[in-house]
Amino acid sequence: MTLQSVALTLLLLPAAGAIVLALGALRLPRTAVKWIGPGTVWLSFVCGLILFADQLSHNQAHDFTYWTWIQLGSFNVPVDLLIDRLSVFMILVVSGVGALITTYSVGYMAHEDDPSYARFFVYMNVFIFSMLLLVSAGNFIFLIMGWALVGLSSYLLIGFYYQREAAVLAARKAFVMNVIGDIGLFLGVFLIFTTYHQVRFTAVFGQVPKQDSVTLEVIALLLLVGAIAKSAQLPLHTWLPDAMEGPTPVSALIHAATMVTAGVYLVGRMHPIFDVAQYAHDGVAAIGALSAIFAATVALVQTDIKRVLAYSTMSQIGYMFLGVGVGAYGAAFFHLLAHAFFKALLFMSAGNVIHAMGDEQDMRRYGGLRRQMRLTSAAFLVGSLALVGIFPFVGFFSKDLVLGLAFSKPSLHDFPQIMWVVGTITALLTGFYTGRMWWIAFGGRPSPDRPVQHPHEAPPIMLYPVLALALLTLLGGLLQVEVAWHGGWKLVSDFLAPVVGVTGWSEGSIGYVIAALTVVLSAAVFMSAYNLYVRRVWPTWSLALPWAQRVLEHKYYFDELYSSLVAALDGLSQLVFRRVDQPLLDGTVRTLGEATKASAGALSEVETGYLRNYLLFFSAGAVVILLVVVVRLFG
Amino acid sequence: MNNGLLHLGSSTLASSDFLILAGLLFLLGAVGVLVRRNPIVILVCIELMLNAANLTLITFARQQGNLDGQIFALLTMVVAAAEAVIGLAVLVDIFGARELDDIDDLSELNG
Repeated sequence: MTLQSVALTLLLLPAAGAIVLALGALRLPRTAVKWIGPGTVWLSFVCGLILFADQLSHNQAHDFTYWTWIQLGSFNVPVDLLIDRLSVFMILVVSGVGALITTYSVGYMAHEDDPSYARFFVYMNVFIFSMLLLVSAGNFIFLIMGWALVGLSSYLLIGFYYQREAAVLAARKAFVMNVIGDIGLFLGVFLIFTTYHQVRFTAVFGQVPKQDSVTLEVIALLLLVGAIAKSAQLPLHTWLPDAMEGPTPVSALIHAATMVTAGVYLVGRMHPIFDVAQYAHDGVAAIGALSAIFAATVALVQTDIKRVLAYSTMSQIGYMFLGVGVGAYGAAFFHLLAHAFFKALLFMSAGNVIHAMGDEQDMRRYGGLRRQMRLTSAAFLVGSLALVGIFPFVGFFSKDLVLGLAFSKPSLHDFPQIMWVVGTITALLTGFYTGRMWWIAFGGRPSPDRPVQHPHEAPPIMLYPVLALALLTLLGGLLQVEVAWHGGWKLVSDFLAPVVGVTGWSEGSIGYVIAALTVVLSAAVFMSAYNLYVRRVWPTWSLALPWAQRVLEHKYYFDELYSSLVAALDGLSQLVFRRVDQPLLDGTVRTLGEATKASAGALSEVETGYLRNYLLFFSAGAVVILLVVVVRLFG
Repeated sequence: MNNGLLHLGSSTLASSDFLILAGLLFLLGAVGVLVRRNPIVILVCIELMLNAANLTLITFARQQGNLDGQIFALLTMVVAAAEAVIGLAVLVDIFGARELDDIDDLSELNG
């Protein structure tokens, strides 16, 4: 089998799985569903490993063209997959984490009815297919297709429990927000096509000039709009917390590990454009830093465990945007990988807890789980410490690399350094809200109003994927140790360097001091949450700042703002309807109709029904024609 | 005979005389169709108009010295016979349904 067919197989396996499951949803036995759903994803992962091995040994980008899809004059869309180191990296993240999570879902979704059970795996496989298409597309048309399809599968999975109104509303909200981003992406691609007359990435990047121009800035900003919506960054972020209405494995896979990082992938893939479009590039970093600190502050007051994790996802993706925004692509993608590990781990261990607690998600009603669900708690602690960025978990290596590179980036206007300040404050906030979550849910004594007093540990099929991710979170830092060891290896950055380029500067020794300081402070903040929420020896901060608590609980009033915006637009459209549409458009049409009717009534008087009248008209006509002929002939 | 004149004893009739007669007959028929109310009379008046046309055809045939007009007149008579049959059949059918002595009673299709 050639590499070309491996790449296509990788893509089509989950699609085939989805089709088989969809057609057989009512007939297939549950055992078959259990094997086909995760099985096809695991096979895709194997295909990804084959491509990975090829990239390691040959380091050559392949642009596999299968056939020409559309040929319209100069508009030529090939069906092609770009298999280079960046796409292979993303393929491994998507199919690897995807395989673990679909396996986990076999246990998590076990209490669903048969058709719903199969439906879940259909959607999951559609998602994996779409995401693989997104990251392996070799031209903009297929990128858009993948982009729209992940939005669709996200919509379907958020609204999976379609009997619940909240889930349906959340799905709709996510879809609308994503479509706003899609429009940005579409316009950007249109502009790219009208400027460069190409749809292939390789052809377009070959033509991108080295000089910044207004067109290039506009292209980059439009692409950024798409990236922001998909990755839930300010100001198009409001869908992500609501998306937690979906089943927890969905939150782990789509709304933490993979789909929401598509924006980071987009900026990384389009780096030849962003490297030149300097203002848009800085915009990426600024939006990332702002989203990071925004989400971290909102996470301080959330009580739903999945919502805390959702805001922390938004915050961590902010770091990735910060990374790609300052040009530290390797570091950003390393953080993407790390985040996929530890956030999937956190969501899946949270899923185990929610499962054991009879679907209760309010963490104030947990408490004391540390002693009752030991393995899950240990896994959650590993994930939390990685999120906070404690040595030696993977989050330490990735987050401090992003921050260190931002701090040390040479720049004229101190812009990266300002981003670093914001990022570091966010790191401390992360320590606090993670500590709060951990201590409230797992520390202390069981809450008196806990739904289940003696919870059981999750079944093996839900435990093994969690433990695998815990292991990856624990050891993932070994992939890139340069933060902790001067001149140490940096496998991820080196692997991606042929595609995204080498980061042009390094941290220098000050980086270690900063990293160490950040870790110590974050750990201290993490522990301080113990005193606040378990021992309660310190008064909570919200007593001193009730207004801040209120602002945060309303998530800075974004939802309210958007609601009133939509209401205002609604009022405006009603006004236009009453003042313009009804009198002008309806009025014109109605007047025309009435006039036709009236004139028809008047003319119908001529139709008397008397034969002699008709004959008179007829003869008179004949006479007139005769006269005309005579005048013509003899006149 | 070939100059279109008809010699009857000492008097000679020119083509224009026949055409004037045909015109008078046609006018008679047309006015009859327009002003009479009895449907049978209207049919008769139509026959009058057709025959006026026939007379014209034959007159011109004589004047031109060929038979085309005469053949055409024969054809018109056949058509006139067929028309009379259909017209009378329609009238008989209407008489079967109702009393009809004024064509103006048939004005249900007014606007």
